[in-house]
Amino acid sequence: MSTTLVPTPVDNAASGAQTVGVTRAVSKGNIVVRWLTSTDHKIIGHMYIITSLVYFLIGGVMALLIRAQLFAPGLNVLATKEQYNQMFTMHGTIMLLLVATPLFAGLANELVPLQIGAPDVAFPRLNMLSFWLYFFGALIVVGGFFTPAGSASFGWFAYTPLSSHTFSPGIGSNMWVMGLAMGGFGTILGAVNFITTIITMRAPGMTMFRMSIFSWNILVTSILVILVFPILAAALLALAADRIFNAHVYDTATGGAILWQHLFWFFGHPEVYILVLPFFGIVSEIIPVFSRKPIFGYKTLVYATIAIGALSMTVWAHHMYVTGSVLLPFFALLTMLIAVPTGVKIFNWIGTMWRGSVTFETPMVWSLGFVFNFIFGGLTGIILASPPLDFHVSDSYFIVAHFHYVVVGAIVFGLFAGIYFWWPKWTGKMLNERLGMMHFWLMFIGFHTTFLIQHWLGVIGMPRRYATYLPDDGFTWMNQLSSVGALIMAISLLPWLLNIYLTARYAPKVTVDDPWGTSRSLEWATSCPPPRHNFTSIPRIRSESPAFDVNHPELAPAGYALPAGVTAAAITSTKKG
Amino acid sequence: MVKNHRLKWLAIPLASSIALGLAGCTQQELRGYLPGEPGITNHTDRVTGLWVTSWIILLGVGAITWGLMIWAMVIYRRRQGQTGMPVQLRYNLPIEVFFTTVPLILILGFFAFTARDEAIIEQRYQNPDVTIQAFGKQWAWDFNYTNEDVYYSGIQVQPDLAPGAPAGSIDPASIPTLYLPVGKTVEIQLNARDVIHSFWVIDFLYKKDMIPGKTNYMSFVPEREGTYKGKCAELCGEFHSQMLFQVKVVSQAEYDAYIQSLRDKGFEGQLGTEYNRNLGQANIVAESAKK
Repeated sequence: MSTTLVPTPVDNAASGAQTVGVTRAVSKGNIVVRWLTSTDHKIIGHMYIITSLVYFLIGGVMALLIRAQLFAPGLNVLATKEQYNQMFTMHGTIMLLLVATPLFAGLANELVPLQIGAPDVAFPRLNMLSFWLYFFGALIVVGGFFTPAGSASFGWFAYTPLSSHTFSPGIGSNMWVMGLAMGGFGTILGAVNFITTIITMRAPGMTMFRMSIFSWNILVTSILVILVFPILAAALLALAADRIFNAHVYDTATGGAILWQHLFWFFGHPEVYILVLPFFGIVSEIIPVFSRKPIFGYKTLVYATIAIGALSMTVWAHHMYVTGSVLLPFFALLTMLIAVPTGVKIFNWIGTMWRGSVTFETPMVWSLGFVFNFIFGGLTGIILASPPLDFHVSDSYFIVAHFHYVVVGAIVFGLFAGIYFWWPKWTGKMLNERLGMMHFWLMFIGFHTTFLIQHWLGVIGMPRRYATYLPDDGFTWMNQLSSVGALIMAISLLPWLLNIYLTARYAPKVTVDDPWGTSRSLEWATSCPPPRHNFTSIPRIRSESPAFDVNHPELAPAGYALPAGVTAAAITSTKKG
Repeated sequence: MVKNHRLKWLAIPLASSIALGLAGCTQQELRGYLPGEPGITNHTDRVTGLWVTSWIILLGVGAITWGLMIWAMVIYRRRQGQTGMPVQLRYNLPIEVFFTTVPLILILGFFAFTARDEAIIEQRYQNPDVTIQAFGKQWAWDFNYTNEDVYYSGIQVQPDLAPGAPAGSIDPASIPTLYLPVGKTVEIQLNARDVIHSFWVIDFLYKKDMIPGKTNYMSFVPEREGTYKGKCAELCGEFHSQMLFQVKVVSQAEYDAYIQSLRDKGFEGQLGTEYNRNLGQANIVAESAKK
């Protein structure tokens, strides 16, 4: 194997090469062709994650433009208010549907086959098709910017009749509709693939209740995807029919305005759980590793995930309290009930640290940041579940603040937790801890500076999606604080990008299966990065922590034979001094 | 025992500092930063009460949760020189039952108050003293005073061109204005002429969407004279942020004088649905077929 004549950074990217044992130099063109034609779940996972991170940076630049425009009343950072509307529309669309949703597919691709001990996903070619549907769908959506009227500008939830041909005639709007429909099919096919993989391809011994929490969350997420993404696809295609063929699906005369909202939010609310569940899974993987304890209440956590998935299908109309068209008490009660399983998760994460031995490496710090932020996002969510309170703050910056506490405070923090945690597994090199900490603290401070104040902004009366405000509104200093925070968040990405570069360039290769030392799930029982079909041998799986059981057989649950001379006692510490 | 003793000593400074802290609170802080002042409409105090109570309980829950998290991080951190592994604890059923049922009880209590207040706020009046028909339109408002059979048709707010006006100011005379008599039961019927808008009077702590093809209702009693800012709260196109208005709550005499002034200007009758731009796509297709 060591005869491969590949320079280190290149080898790192093309992990497929090493098991084949080719002895010729691999050119860059070779790698491009291999990636573009790959059906390997790891390479497809890389492509998903890289593509969505690129869109993450693009969406971030748009957020900076939005914050610049709002720095003071009456600014014209963007030439017209229409362009401002395009910015926040595309910022929302990109971040939710071109970043966070594909990250689900990307992370699932990277990890699920490894965690369940499978050589690949069940349908590798379908997997490849899913990625390319997303890739080209996304290009169509953002391609709207290059049309004469610019991109879609009706907000990411595209309420009719504003999104109808009458009020948004641009071709960019058609591209938004069709591009998202196309990308949505990619998501659906991906979800089918993950469900099949998890149901049929688990390794011997890997029962459902020995599966890692992350894989469980991917299973529940995938089920949500196949329940609601077809609704989105249908709603979008009907909107396209209205726009292009003058169909009458969303005629206001026949209740079309509310029909769209029901269809959209029947997709849209489960969608936010589709976004966040994989990241719940990520922190559920990371916290046990750095607490040196199994996840607390494994089965409760699984049932909580299932409960969240089920309840998320029943609460869509809490986005519609102010439409006067929904049964308020019903949706209020169900929305509030989601707090219970969500609280269970938070307490289980804390319970995992309880009586543990906790260290604070970068993945753990990001995970704890996730939990810290998510608690507040959850609390404001409970406020919003109450219609009398929602009437005032609905469609204000309070909402913007609330959901950014979830989508940035939880999803982005969870994403970076996962990136720092699995980087060695994906690339074979550990990211730098010091730069990672700089990244974290800058992001943490920038995040709270940006979004905490927006709660007050909404409460005192700033509606969301306003291109400007009045000097006598009293919003100015709060907006300025928020914009400064956004800048800090943007700066926080510099140490991260530097980290990636320096790591690829100078970091030593990881030679062990588990560089963290106390990892638990099965992906840490194979090399970094894993060979083409993931495992050369599969360890015995007798708990939800197979890799930990291999390295620490004395602590493994019953049914795991001890090597001679090892005692099963677990002694906490030998303190010195 | 020693621990309890210590806690007792802690209780006195804790209680006094909380009392001092609350005594030093401004009116705004006691209202949970909600805008306005007590008693602007007959509903605002109810909303404020629910808002403040909910926040106190939720922040209490939050403080406990954050506290537990930080406590676990500090107490169970791996100290220098420690080796070995902690006990591989996987479950603790009593604790798990506790943290499932307690939130459930809190939630059900919160729901009870929510349902009570929501039912009162949404209750329509049998015979409101004043009925207003409000239309949202890109990017202004029409108000029909249906009892008096007069109307007001607003235009989009205009920039303030006066020299020395700060950047982004608007001409106050151009703001669409709705007059309401103080102390009367009011019903506002909300409609839209084109796309969805939302009628938000900020200090009333209430908004409701204006949806084409549907009428929504907003029922309340304005109890304090004054001028209140209103904003469109649902994205409605390019000049969404210019779709502003104000509500002037005035005495009955001033209200009557205003109605008379509308009548004097000839704004009699009503601006009905015939001015809607969005009569349904069926009509648009039919119109274009004629051409």
